[in-house]
Amino acid sequence: MNDALKMQISAFVDGELPENESELLLRRLSQDQSLRHQAAEYLQIGRLIRREREVPGMGDLRTRIAAALGEQPVESPARAEQPKSRLLKPAAGFAVAASVAVVALVVLRQVDVPGTGELPNQSAANVEAPAGQAAGYTEPLPAEALTGRPGEMLTQYYLSHGATSADLGANGILTRLVALELREEELVGTDANPAEANDPTGTPDDDAEGSADDSTRADNP
Amino acid sequence: MYKTESQWLLALFLLLAGTSATARDRISPDEWLERMSAAVATINYEGTVIRRQNGEAQALKVVHKVVDGVVNEKVITQEGNGLEIIRIGNEVHCILPDKKSVLVEQWNDRSTLFSTLPSSEVSFGSEYDLSLVREERVAGRPAVLLAIRPHDSLRFGHRVWLDRETAFPLRTELIGTDGEPIEQFKFADISLGSTISEQSLAPSLSLDNFTWYSEPQRVEAADIETDWTCDDLPAGFRVISTKHEKLPGAVAPVTHIVYGDGLATVSVFIAGKQEQEIARRSSIGASSSFSLQTDDYQITAVGEVPAETVQRIASSMRQE
Repeated sequence: MNDALKMQISAFVDGELPENESELLLRRLSQDQSLRHQAAEYLQIGRLIRREREVPGMGDLRTRIAAALGEQPVESPARAEQPKSRLLKPAAGFAVAASVAVVALVVLRQVDVPGTGELPNQSAANVEAPAGQAAGYTEPLPAEALTGRPGEMLTQYYLSHGATSADLGANGILTRLVALELREEELVGTDANPAEANDPTGTPDDDAEGSADDSTRADNP
Repeated sequence: MYKTESQWLLALFLLLAGTSATARDRISPDEWLERMSAAVATINYEGTVIRRQNGEAQALKVVHKVVDGVVNEKVITQEGNGLEIIRIGNEVHCILPDKKSVLVEQWNDRSTLFSTLPSSEVSFGSEYDLSLVREERVAGRPAVLLAIRPHDSLRFGHRVWLDRETAFPLRTELIGTDGEPIEQFKFADISLGSTISEQSLAPSLSLDNFTWYSEPQRVEAADIETDWTCDDLPAGFRVISTKHEKLPGAVAPVTHIVYGDGLATVSVFIAGKQEQEIARRSSIGASSSFSLQTDDYQITAVGEVPAETVQRIASSMRQE
């Protein structure tokens, strides 16, 4: 997939692609499975980037994309069902780390794709907010919206390097937040609340017994 | 000689001030860094930290206490989802209130709140210059500004504002090759040497019904010999360690070589040729990566250095 097509999909997902181009893209999506997967991935990334914000017209776009994908419409973040069970689903790890990412103010830039070797445009320009949105709000340019997570291997490399830097005394809590952001899909549930055995967080003892029973366990993502 | 008592007192003040200034001036930049390392390792403190990165600011409440050499620390973000990080020694709990989740991690004991602090072990003069620039006030306290300037564009610089009284770092900046800060970190207010209660280090909320996660373990072998070498290593960098490492999800172990110049570190990962290529260039915070595929290997360099540096190192890895 070339960069222009990626930009087009991203603009489409962001509701910024002109109507005629949207129709063409939808037709192409219906004929190309890998393209559909890519679009779905971008949609997911867009949701994570925007988090609780909703872009006007996204509802319709989601329906149309879902139709092109032959799947159920993707829920908007605001309507997304919250986990009802204490037992988090595998995707919970992803959500957990995504929230850390926002806290850490981390910006990951995958600045070019394999094989291109072109120097990146690292500008962080924004475009004006679409009509109806809160003043001061800016929507990232499609190029930014496309910046996703590194591949699994690269993620592991960043994590490993971060741990090494800490070993060398050149790292800190704030930098480690970056590593947390990258952990999303590899979080594994503990067998029990570590607070039972060793309580570094200082949870009151009188809650310990109840916590042991109530302590939840995550499925291995 | 002095006609009035006030004249005498003024003369005494000027004499003491001059003596103090002279003593302060006698402290070399290297000594300031040594004092800083000691201060970070021993001083209890609490305050509000402002962190700036990528044009955005984030406020954090920080409580830090050292008990018998063990770091006890709590960091609470003041915006967003109220993330709390609580650490005792090398065990760290990251509490995510909105997700009702806790991530348990093992961090290195030497990790500190500061991600950009230079070490006092750096040998200055060859790749970096260290100098005292001026005195300024930070968080309402007099501070001395130390500048660490690299001699080339292959590494980042640092500015550190140290509390004049304790040498504690009140503000740090990581400086890019354009002279602009990449990451800034400063206390808006701070109480140094304060008495910190156990309660102030405990979670600010009940963790009942929270789900606990632990990080997967990395399997790391002991140091190994390798025939890989970098034939265009930037001046000042040397091999810190060479290991085989089995990364989670990876089929085969990779060779992990760490290079450092005393301030910056770069990791080079050498894996067998991968079907799935990874991003040629990427960056996260102050870290950059560069990856390339040879006929038989995938070579990736990652480090807190400019993109040019990781590219140069990755591109010049050779097997002897």
